[in-house]
Amino acid sequence: MRTIRQSLQVARKDLAVELRTKESLNAAGAFAIVILLLFSFAFDPAAEETKEIAGGLLWLVFAFAGALVFNRGFARELPNECLDALLSSPLSPASLLMGKASANFIMLLVVEALSLLVFGIFYNMRWWLRPWELAGIFALATWGISVVGAVFGALTVNLRLRELMLPVLIYPLLIPLLMSAIVLTNTLLANGAMTADQLIWVRVLGVFDIVFTALAVALAETILVN
Amino acid sequence: MDPHTLALMYARNFMFMFYGFSAAWLIVAVYVISLARRGARLKKELDDVRRLTDSADSPL
Amino acid sequence: MREKFVIGLAAAAGLLLAFDLYRILLVLPDEAMQGAIYRIMFFHIPAALTGFTGYFVALILSVLYLSSGNLKYDSLAASVTEVALVFSCVNIVTGSIWARVIWGIWWTWDYRLTSTLISILIYAGYLMLRRAIDEPTQRARLSAALSIFGCVDVVIIWKSIEWFRTQHPGPVLSIRTGGGNIDPAMEHMIYYNLLAILMLATALVLVRTRQEDISREIDSLRRTANAAERNIA
Repeated sequence: MRTIRQSLQVARKDLAVELRTKESLNAAGAFAIVILLLFSFAFDPAAEETKEIAGGLLWLVFAFAGALVFNRGFARELPNECLDALLSSPLSPASLLMGKASANFIMLLVVEALSLLVFGIFYNMRWWLRPWELAGIFALATWGISVVGAVFGALTVNLRLRELMLPVLIYPLLIPLLMSAIVLTNTLLANGAMTADQLIWVRVLGVFDIVFTALAVALAETILVN
Repeated sequence: MDPHTLALMYARNFMFMFYGFSAAWLIVAVYVISLARRGARLKKELDDVRRLTDSADSPL
Repeated sequence: MREKFVIGLAAAAGLLLAFDLYRILLVLPDEAMQGAIYRIMFFHIPAALTGFTGYFVALILSVLYLSSGNLKYDSLAASVTEVALVFSCVNIVTGSIWARVIWGIWWTWDYRLTSTLISILIYAGYLMLRRAIDEPTQRARLSAALSIFGCVDVVIIWKSIEWFRTQHPGPVLSIRTGGGNIDPAMEHMIYYNLLAILMLATALVLVRTRQEDISREIDSLRRTANAAERNIA
């Protein structure tokens, strides 16, 4: 319980800082819109085939924008040795990691909402037809991405090539999650109901989230403490 | 299938089989060579650093 | 003494491989439907098994490092991962050549190929991470964490992509199918070759581990030399 309370405190602090400056949100949001624009040149928005791959396009945008958010997550603690201060505090490393993951989660959800709006406009897609299922899938998948992003943000924070290493490391790891999210999002955007077959993908999302959250909590001290 | 086509197919198959074997062994050979070169470089570096620490120790 | 063991192991592997090659090329008959190209399987399958075994062994070694703090485990883990990566590349390249002959295409998004490719990317990232960190303990710690995440993820990837795409031939080894899918002589050949390749892989791992240890020794000697210089100055 204490861990959860501490995580929420960390998350609140991060979100408060972010709301004041909005640096990550602006950067990630602008980046997402630019990529959507590029996609609209690469994949004809009017074509039927593009509607079928809409889920794929969206999740690629989220993954790329997410990398920007995760990079900032721990990097913002470097100046003035804030990271060392956090680690020497009574805060457990697991709470710090989970707090960062939660903050990532909220920020990424905001970027996703913005992208969905812009996507609907550029591609003329009505994404609000199955809102609850879509929201559920987005939440599950975004949590998985946020946890992995937080872990590798922490892992790469002190490296020379942080901005390069983070995407290189997380994208292969995120493939099962992105794959499942893409399949499910494609179905939901086409207004199809999720068939029994596709429940398998929901299960993959669930397993991924549980396993990686557990691993993150277990390895938090290894990753964070020198 | 007539014997001529069959013979051609087998010949082509053998060619690709040798390509396959060669590719596999080429990859392993490249790795072994890179290991050997790294080993030689490390040995030289070790000798250099050992000499450095010996000379650093001697004034003391 | 240890060098003699490594050389002996490599020599034994070489002999076994030569013997296998003789049998593969001259004794075993062509397969009914595939012709000669199926013989690639004798390297393709053992390379795949060696690669994935390597990843699991690296996982165990990483956990051992984290619990004991002994850097020898870290050297071993790095070496095993590197050698496993090499054999995974052999796996993908031989698979690709086989596919070109049988299916007419160099690449297909079948689940085994895709999963193997993703594993290669994950562990290439592992090696890149190691290059990016100079301090040995930090490097060991973070690589161990990545190795654990990577291996768990490889399992998840394997299963989830299996549901996603299937074109690769199904299992042929009897332990998975209960016999009947493959001529026993061929199956035994696969196992012999697997043994030879595992021996070769072990020899390579031992050589690489020794190099890691030497590298660490050089690093610590450098630090000593630096400290000594500063003391004198």
